[in-house]
Order: sequence, then C-alpha cells, then structure tokens
Amino acid sequence: MKNIVITILVLLSGIVNSVSAQAKKPTLMVVPSDVLCNQNGWMKTYENQGSIVKVPDYKRAFQESTYLLLVISKINQLMADRGFPLKNMESAIKTLESNAAENAMRGSKDTGAGVSESPIDQLKAIAKADIILQLTLTLNKTGPKKSITFNLQGLDAYTDKQVASASGTGAPSFSAEIPVLLEEAVLSHMDNFTSTLQTHFDDMFENGREIIVRIQKWDDWDGDLESEFEDEELGIVIEDWLADNTVKGRFNTTDMTADMALFEQVRIPLFNEKGRAIDARRFVRKLSKKLKNVPFEIPNKVVMKGLGRATIILGGK
Amino acid sequence: MKNHINTIVLLFLVVFTFSLNVDAQSKRESKKTKDAHEWRYELDCMSTGKQGTYLVKVWSYSKKPQLAIEKAKRNAVHGVIFKGFAAGKQGCKSQKPLARNSNLESEQSSYFKTFFGEGGKYMKFVTASNDGAIAAGDRLKVSKKMYKIGIVISVNKDELRKTLEQDGIIKGLASGF
Repeated sequence: MKNIVITILVLLSGIVNSVSAQAKKPTLMVVPSDVLCNQNGWMKTYENQGSIVKVPDYKRAFQESTYLLLVISKINQLMADRGFPLKNMESAIKTLESNAAENAMRGSKDTGAGVSESPIDQLKAIAKADIILQLTLTLNKTGPKKSITFNLQGLDAYTDKQVASASGTGAPSFSAEIPVLLEEAVLSHMDNFTSTLQTHFDDMFENGREIIVRIQKWDDWDGDLESEFEDEELGIVIEDWLADNTVKGRFNTTDMTADMALFEQVRIPLFNEKGRAIDARRFVRKLSKKLKNVPFEIPNKVVMKGLGRATIILGGK
Repeated sequence: MKNHINTIVLLFLVVFTFSLNVDAQSKRESKKTKDAHEWRYELDCMSTGKQGTYLVKVWSYSKKPQLAIEKAKRNAVHGVIFKGFAAGKQGCKSQKPLARNSNLESEQSSYFKTFFGEGGKYMKFVTASNDGAIAAGDRLKVSKKMYKIGIVISVNKDELRKTLEQDGIIKGLASGF
C-alpha cells in the first residue's frame, strides 16, 4: 500500500513538473546590418597587420539616425505585443559601458583589490542575444518617387542559421514622408516575420533545441581524441554518447581530428529527466561528468556561449 | 355521415396545407442558412491597414446583395484565420493565415460554429469601410440568381489573434517559454 502511494505521488509530481516546466526563452535583439552601417558611414576603421578593417560603429548609428531608432522601436513594440519583448541594443551598449566604468573604479574595502576580469571576460562583454534580428533598410528614389526596401533576418547566434525572415519593397510614393514609409514597411512585414519565427519555435519544441558542441584539448594534455579506452577511441565514445542523449539521435559530426571535434545540428531535449529546462551547457555537463569518471578519468572544462553553444576542453580546468 | 366525411376531408386538407407550409418554410430556412454558411469568397489585400488591422476587400457570393455586408464581415474574419491573402496593389504584402494547422477548423468545429454563429464573437473584430457602401464596379451579377459583391472590410487582426490565443485555439509566439 505504502509503495502504491509513493508511486502515485512520484507520478503526480512528474506530471506537475512537466506541466509547469517552461523552456529557456531565447533573447532577441535588433541589430543594424553591416551593409546598412556601411552605406550610412557608421563604421570604424582600423589597421590590422597592414590591411584596413572596417567594423560597424553601432553607438554612432544610434546617436545619428532617428530613422533607425524609429524602426527598431516599432519592431520592439510589435514583438512585445506578441509576448516577446526584445533586448534594446542601444540600452545594452550603454549598460556595458557603465558596467565597465564601474568595474574599473571598484575596489575592495579591505584590500583595495580590483574586480577580477580575464581577457576572455572582456572579449565576451559585448551586446549579445540568442537570436539576432539583422535589419537592412534601403531608401529607393526614382525621380520624386520614394520607396523602402525592408529586410529583417532572424539569425541564430550559435548555429548561424537564418531561422526567420521577412523582406520586400513597399509601394513607391510621391508624397509620403520617409518615417511613414518606414512604419508601413515594419507593419506590413512583421506578421510574416513572427510567423516564420514561430515555425522555428514549433520545430524546436518538436525536435529539440539545435546547438553546437565542440571538443578541444589543452596542448599540455598527453591524451587526444584517438586515445583508446576499453578498445574504443575517445572520439567514438563521445559520438556514441551524443547518439544516446540527443533527440532521436540527431547530430552531425562536422569535424573530427586527434585534437578537436565539432558536432553541429545537435538536437538536445528542452527539459531534463527532472523536468527542468536545459541549455547547451547543462546538456554537455553530463558528458563532462562521464569523461571525468572511470574508465576515462579525464579532467575537463566546460565553456559556454549562450543557450546554444558549449565546448569541452579536455586535460584540465 | 356526410357531415363526418366533410369534416374529415376538411381536417385532412388543413393538415396537408399546414405541413406543406412548414416544409416550404424549413426548406427556405435551410437554404438561407446554407447560403449564409457557405465559405465561398475571395480576399484581396487593399493596403497596409492601421497598426493591428488588415484592410481587405472581400468578394462574397450571395443571392441577395443586401445580405452581402454581414456575409462579407464573417468571410473576412474567416479568411484572416484560415486562408490568409495574396499580395495586392499599393505595395500590400501577402499575409499568412493565423491558423497554422490546416485542420484547425474541423478540429475545433464546435468553437468556430459558435464563433461564426448569429451574433458570434467574430463581430467584434470587423468594421466595414464606407459603412459597407458597395462601389459600382464591385457589384457583379455572375449568374441568373447570384451576385458577387466586393466590400472593403477592416479586420482587427491583433485583437482577433489575442482572443484565439486566450481561448486556446491557436498558440502564441511565446507559448512554451
């Protein structure tokens, strides 16, 4: 009797967990495309080993273009109406700057020590999102007629895939002001954009989240992916683990050498066995633990990048 | 005896006439209902509507032009939910239907029967432009007893989508997160 009651309670808690569990929500942010920045002169130029490199100057773009702010604000508003408020890039840049200033000034009361920040931390301190909405706008003029070509691409920051899009050119107008044309362009394209984005989310809920898993090794580690454990190469062991733990065994081995392996289109479940939402880091954590235990006993470090990319570096922390 | 026969014949005639009348009425009713619930229409995109709306021209088929306005409203909402529409003039963009599942109408038939019923919820999301006035070129007689009527309708698609999401008929963009 006691066993039956316990079983029922466990089953009920499982059902409650699965009902209340929510997948990790990706962050979205509108980013002006490189071509838009270049056409409007919002670029920084620097010399890198003799060649001139141009990179977008987003801060300048937001300071100089009211049209850009208008379009981004409209997209943000429409997405918020759909229950998906976006990260605002201009605010994200300002927050990063103020955080950097605060960290530079901060010191411990007791010892005067500064806040620890590795070069990698500094490199990662950029405005980022899980899905980037890359915006390109072109103003077309034929005599007195004006029209707007609008192109919004939803790009997965980890898999580099275009997961949503909407594009097209509006009707030419003799009289309408540019802001009116811009607003019209956003209004007429956003429903199709959200529709394609929803298709991506539906696919994610059905087939799991698509992530990238990378395996690397420290150069002072004496083992590699060709090292054998119980008559099996380490690379194959990792592939087998992925086959067992991905949704419907879906993943591609894009690259496999003695020193590194790259797995793409890895479909991971959205929830673990406890019904908790998981991302790439939590997923590869299990592989990391397996490699630390017998018979492998390989110390390793897990490095993450957002929801969709994780790297295991073998040979130490 | 003769009186009895006369009474019986009279009663029979009354019952027969009454039944014919009822039959004719019910046939008329069913024809009217069939006419009203027949999803035979076409949607043309007119222009980018105000924020949250679609401005479409609905071509409905009806035997009576005066019935066309109410029919057009119902058809416009039906079209936005289940059909979407192709790109039109004035840079009007094609739009996909709100329902992503092509079998939704049959799967949720009882909901949509009430939704599109007499005085149903659909009324909340439509407005006829120009008070439903029909332009001269938008009243076409396609057969001896059939008119094709074009009426410009504004559909409040944002509110329509929110209602369908709240009623659990379609999924929202953020559902599951």
